[in-house]
Amino acid sequence: MTIPKRYSRLTGAALIALLPVSAAAQVDLTLWHMEQPPHRVERVQILLDEFNASHPEITVSQEPQNWGEVYAKAPAALAAGAGPDMLFAIPDFTPILKGIGALTSVEDFVTELDAVHDFNPSAVEAYSYDDGVWAVPLYNMSMNLWYRPSVLSAAGIDVPTTWDEWKAAAEALTKDGMYGMGLPANQQLYTDQTVYSVMANGGASEIYNADGSLNFDTPETVAAYSFYNDMLAFSPPDAASWTWGEAEACFASNSCAMIMQFSVISTYDTQAEGVASDLGVAAIPSKDGGDSNTIAYANAVMLLSQDDEKMEASKTFVRWLLQPENYGRFLNMEPGLFMPVTADGAAADSYWSDPMVEKYRGQIETVIENSQNGMLFGFTSGRVFPAISAISAQNVLAETLQAIAITGTDAAQAVTDGQARMQDLTE
Amino acid sequence: MKRALRWNMALAGVLFMLVALIVLPFWFVLTGSIKEPSEIIARTPTMIPQSFSLQHYVKLLSASDYPLYMMNSMIVATASTVITLLLAIPAGYAFFRMAFAGRETLYRAILLAYAFPSIVILIPLFGIFAKLGLIDTRLALVLVNVAFALPFAIWMLRSFFAGIPIEIEEAARLDGGAPLTVLRRIMIPLVAPGIAAVAVFTFVTSWTEYVFASVMILSDAKRPMPVGFSGIIGQYQIDWGLLLAGASLSILPVVILFAFVGRWFVAGLTEGAVK
Repeated sequence: MTIPKRYSRLTGAALIALLPVSAAAQVDLTLWHMEQPPHRVERVQILLDEFNASHPEITVSQEPQNWGEVYAKAPAALAAGAGPDMLFAIPDFTPILKGIGALTSVEDFVTELDAVHDFNPSAVEAYSYDDGVWAVPLYNMSMNLWYRPSVLSAAGIDVPTTWDEWKAAAEALTKDGMYGMGLPANQQLYTDQTVYSVMANGGASEIYNADGSLNFDTPETVAAYSFYNDMLAFSPPDAASWTWGEAEACFASNSCAMIMQFSVISTYDTQAEGVASDLGVAAIPSKDGGDSNTIAYANAVMLLSQDDEKMEASKTFVRWLLQPENYGRFLNMEPGLFMPVTADGAAADSYWSDPMVEKYRGQIETVIENSQNGMLFGFTSGRVFPAISAISAQNVLAETLQAIAITGTDAAQAVTDGQARMQDLTE
Repeated sequence: MKRALRWNMALAGVLFMLVALIVLPFWFVLTGSIKEPSEIIARTPTMIPQSFSLQHYVKLLSASDYPLYMMNSMIVATASTVITLLLAIPAGYAFFRMAFAGRETLYRAILLAYAFPSIVILIPLFGIFAKLGLIDTRLALVLVNVAFALPFAIWMLRSFFAGIPIEIEEAARLDGGAPLTVLRRIMIPLVAPGIAAVAVFTFVTSWTEYVFASVMILSDAKRPMPVGFSGIIGQYQIDWGLLLAGASLSILPVVILFAFVGRWFVAGLTEGAVK
């Protein structure tokens, strides 16, 4: 055997020996998210393709899911060993998976990312409890008051900042086939969100006391519900069955002068006039004109893999996604809806250079500013009460409104009943 | 005469209201799917479209996985229908012809299975399918669809077999026909309307099944149309044109199926009703 032949055989043997190692080094990750509209799936796929190309040892694939089913589907899939490695979440979803032992704290990882990108503290807070941080914040959504400046100025009305002004504006604008304020009264999440946005502006943001007991049945809560019920008089009669889409359609068709919504930019641009200068957004009016609050959802990603290698690969992906040059494009899978939760993301060119974001820059800046006072029921004042998941899942805030608006129960009694219902669900 | 006229007018009025109740939603869905976005969400809905656009269909078919979802639904619904028929025809015939202990009890027990609310077995079934490696497979959906369609199919076909004069079957036997040959050559052609009715029933229930598909299918590529389409619609921001175009296309296979076997289906339903 000549030396070159021996050398080549040795090299071949070495390569064969290395092959299993190379194969084992390849990590396949599955990402579940609930951003199912085709353009969002496409944007996520573009980012995944880029990541996979720049990280040959990792392959991330997406499986879009539906918010309507994921609460039941994810625990079942994880129990069956068919769950994802990464799963998008909102704060009240995380306790469910934590409750079945599917989560490990990512506190160190979030601290590492915070040092680089500077997270909005409230976004991290929503996932920080029980001595851990249970998900990595990705983007924010906050509720705002949307209107057309031309409609308000034609009626000689200023943008309302107090409840009295808001009610007077809605009343004045309800004429000639237009409704002053489109508000839902469906027993559904959208109504939870609008009701809580009103509560948060009437001093009723704390559903729990510091000791964990319920604090829903208060005069402030009753006042907020009474005000909301009064405002329903200026809503279309079918508002009792609305979800987000119907409210947006009402606004886009100029049938509703004002609505509360996370964002109407995409719908306004594609299905209505699309004139940026005639789309107004403001903070939700507060009871007495003080600081305005709003409901805000810090969306996050939970890292679920129990395998160290997969967990590390998942972290590599999240690190990559939060880099400003990628993060802005990720947020703009739905321009104007998903807001940055990192300081460098909020300043990223990749975010502000999107044509839709450029066009509605003023509105988006206002939305980001409004979101600074964002809060979420059960996750306020630095305290997190995981039992809120059961209350949220049953839409008790909306159920309480329905008792008042649909069945005519007195507001004080409905709120008392609401707290009793919360107590039952919590126990 | 006047009384007859009034009666006819009242009947016509009721018929008109019934047709309007059934047809109007379809009309708004179909015509809405070809309207411009601004007209779809207009404050006053337009009965006759004032604009025409195929943009929603183009977007649906080119920018979403809707065709893939349709294909998945077609595979699942067709397989469910074929398997249900393959099992229901001999089972229905056996319940009609074969004498065995507990036949009537078993026959009634099958109907009880049909009356069972399916949602309560969703989670246990998920566990069983997970152990069998059937989660995230179309086969899981076919098995579920067949399990829920089979009781009704057997019950219906048995009543059809019972309506065939015994002399026909006896004549075939006298000519030397084996039971399976008699079933295949004589009985099946005679219960063709019943088979058509069962086929349409199974196909439609499989085509529209949502609950089990939404939980048992994990990957986008295997999702049937109802589940995949609900995702396309979106949550916070709804593309109404996309929704209407998808809804219009989703009824197409059922319409085509009815066009082929509709006459038999109606005959099957009416014959089944008096047997």
